[in-house]
Amino acid sequence: MIQYVSMKIDGAIFKVPKGSSVLDVAIEYGICIPHLCHVPNISDLGACRLCIVEHVVEGRSKVTTSCTLRVQEGMVIKSNTQKIKRLRKNIAELLVSQAPNSKAIQDIAVRCGVKTVRYPFRNDNCVLCGRCVRICREQWQAKAIGFVGRGKDRRVKSPFGVKSETCKMCGNCIDLCPMTITPCDGPMKPGEEYLCGKCESQLMEAESAVDQCIMCGLGEGFQCARH
Amino acid sequence: MQPQPLETLLEGRRSQPHQLIEVLQDVQAQYGYISEEAIRTISKELGVPLVDVYSVVSFYKAFHLNPRGKNVITMCTGTACHVRGAKLLLNQAISQLGVQPGDMTDDKLFTIEHVNCLGACALGPVVTENGSSHHHMSPGKLRKLIDALRARDEKPEQEADHA
Repeated sequence: MIQYVSMKIDGAIFKVPKGSSVLDVAIEYGICIPHLCHVPNISDLGACRLCIVEHVVEGRSKVTTSCTLRVQEGMVIKSNTQKIKRLRKNIAELLVSQAPNSKAIQDIAVRCGVKTVRYPFRNDNCVLCGRCVRICREQWQAKAIGFVGRGKDRRVKSPFGVKSETCKMCGNCIDLCPMTITPCDGPMKPGEEYLCGKCESQLMEAESAVDQCIMCGLGEGFQCARH
Repeated sequence: MQPQPLETLLEGRRSQPHQLIEVLQDVQAQYGYISEEAIRTISKELGVPLVDVYSVVSFYKAFHLNPRGKNVITMCTGTACHVRGAKLLLNQAISQLGVQPGDMTDDKLFTIEHVNCLGACALGPVVTENGSSHHHMSPGKLRKLIDALRARDEKPEQEADHA
């Protein structure tokens, strides 16, 4: 029997199954929490940090990723405060400076209200979201790729840099990678990166309906859970 | 001393994934590095996916994927040592041995490494050679140290050649 808990997101009360994550609940009930590394039915890692929310405990709020936060009885979540918006904008800015050659990440940056990028562009083609690693490990049980190294040298690689014997050639790692769709104007060369921002008109409606998912076209680049 | 074969190290630990780090530590201690072959064997015997063994080995600084020389010279490049000229020491070692940090010299005698701090900042610049520390190093002292180590290790081979 499924047990239910009641919780609050942005003031609205929900009765939700025990064990689900805050992000899943928000998506289910049409609250827009931008996210990138979350893939439905795959374990969450909290790698992209975009889905941060404020979790209010006894009057104090704690900022944490909603994908790794499990629902609890009487939980109070704020997903769209000024503080969260500011932090989220900064995170999106960092992501776009790390990998500007991705429609998904450019879309996210627009969605989070990034207007200028204050950081130098790295153009690294990977933001270590771990989507490929998790789909390979969990859905396909192949374990052909994984994280290698640590800190700034962390990379997604197969063991010893050669194609893994356990690879099933499913291609799902490529399907889920946010880097596979380049910005509409084509890939940017190193030194010529910019913030795309051409889809800003998509935000018109989003701004009039704060914190609600309006099915904006900005999620298509990375299979936002609504698409 | 001959290193123990991998079979002996795996004795009593097969099919126990939680023993991974212990086995890797033993292999590292016995062979000085962890070879691709060893990683494949460990993965098969312990029942840990190959990619997991590989990421653990690449994560920890204590494990090495490439063979290391007989003498490992570690430079401290922490703040205090850096200020007192650790860069000069590193350059001295690189130019004297002709290898980059992390690589082994062709005669398999030396490997240079740099670490972020050895925890003896008041004694800097610090250099450790095979586990023993040398304080207040200078490029000249380091040159003599490397020469002494080379002389010590090359001698037995020459004697063997004569005989």
